[in-house]
Amino acid sequence: MGEERVKARALENRPGWIASINPWVLKIKNNPERVAFVLHRVTGVLMALIIMAHIFVTGTPARVGWEAWVEEISKAHGITAVTLYFFFFAGIAWFHGLNGIRLILTEFFGVCIGKPEKPKPPYLAPSLKACQRRLLYLVFALWAVLWVLTGYIVFG
Amino acid sequence: MTFDPKAATKEPPKKVVFRVKRYNPETGKTWWDEYEVETYRGMTVLDALLKIKEELDHTLVLRYSCRMGVCGSCGMIINGMPRLACQTQVAEVASEARPVVTVEPLKNHPVVRDLLTDFTAFFDKHRSVKPYTIRKNKEELETGDMEFLMTPEEHSELYEYTLCIACGLCYSACPVAASDERFLGPQALTYVWRYVADPRDEAWQERLEAVDTEEGPFSCHFAASCSAVCPKMVDPAAAIQRLRSALIKYRMGLYKKKKIARKAEPPKEFKERKPLPPEAKLVEGADLEALEKEPPEIPVDSLLS
Ligand code: HEM
Ligand code: FES
Repeated sequence: MGEERVKARALENRPGWIASINPWVLKIKNNPERVAFVLHRVTGVLMALIIMAHIFVTGTPARVGWEAWVEEISKAHGITAVTLYFFFFAGIAWFHGLNGIRLILTEFFGVCIGKPEKPKPPYLAPSLKACQRRLLYLVFALWAVLWVLTGYIVFG
Repeated sequence: MTFDPKAATKEPPKKVVFRVKRYNPETGKTWWDEYEVETYRGMTVLDALLKIKEELDHTLVLRYSCRMGVCGSCGMIINGMPRLACQTQVAEVASEARPVVTVEPLKNHPVVRDLLTDFTAFFDKHRSVKPYTIRKNKEELETGDMEFLMTPEEHSELYEYTLCIACGLCYSACPVAASDERFLGPQALTYVWRYVADPRDEAWQERLEAVDTEEGPFSCHFAASCSAVCPKMVDPAAAIQRLRSALIKYRMGLYKKKKIARKAEPPKEFKERKPLPPEAKLVEGADLEALEKEPPEIPVDSLLS
């Protein structure tokens, strides 16, 4: 006896920012919207970083002169560091832009999220089978197609 | 969450290993325990955990009450997905190929011990949105004879949202609540929309203005995990988008509540209720088989007239 009782404390149990980059911290079924949420956030932040880099890059002619700039840019054919960077930027921007349209429809206008219903088996929430879900699949499909097409332009 | 109505008819693997995440608040230690449980057809995860508590380890702590998906006490993360333990068949989550079920406490709620989570902050948020009908004339609510008129169409706009049992699964699934403890969360915001959409409620302006904060619907990013885990098909994700959209329109001067329900007049005359005739009552100890063969005549016409 005589032992001092250890103070009980609750465990803070939030996944934190990991939930913003890993859509599978929880293994929730039938939830591609969560994958889109993570991709949208990651691509948004990446775009912000890329735009900062872009400002530096577009300032290059002022530092090295136009001739040197044009000469360097004209080398951007085939797979080089510059074209790869363009290619990845295009992929990021395509997804953010396409999914952004879907989010503006659902979040801003509140459309494409289904109508409230009386629950009946198999108890699938209306918003998960509404047209936003079909739009999401369309976003993924268009993203793939447009990214490949951009690849042809950038590397061609 | 979708439910397979046939899940309870499936036979789970004979023996299932339950990997349970434990936490001791006195030592601050977290660890995993494994228990092998003999199953039976129709066994829920809650049944299995109670069996563990009775037969294998009395120190396991969890919360439950109704055992039938009504009270919302037994939320936990089962195989990585927030679910009600009493509404999850072992046969649904364990297979012959993988007879293992992992059970963890709900995320985003502080853990008190083992699978028991603290809902104080969650209920504080629920309370903060005033989850009750508000009328300008308070007497309308205080006198017992009142009734507000609404059409079935108006009712169907909000019925879904009234089914919430506050089990906290949506809050646990939400990736925004995962990093922002001030976010009101899907449950409380659904309640806000439920009352804004309810024609019987008159405080829609106050409600909209009260959630026009960083903690409100603008923090939602429509990951829709709340709707994907809700055991009552409440669809919080849609409610929050409707709320946000209404709020944006309201701030642009474009949103007005369609209708405020008025109080129904008390009925002018009361019909006298006729007592049921003895043939219409189910007598205790009645021979149901015989009754089925020769159904008794129920004088429907005389009851209706
Ligand atoms: C085609 C043009 C664009 C569209 C349609 C668009 C659309 C959107 C929408 C609707 C959101 C809100 C998403 C949500 O609520 O979860 C958003 C978030 C965001 N956007 Fe964009 N956006 C565009 C361009 C950009 C650009 C150029 C940048 C980078 C500078 C950017 C960076 C971000 C960031 C960082 C977020 C926050 C993501 C989050 O909190 O999850 N966006 N965008
Ligand atoms: S014990 Fe009541 S909901 Fe599971």
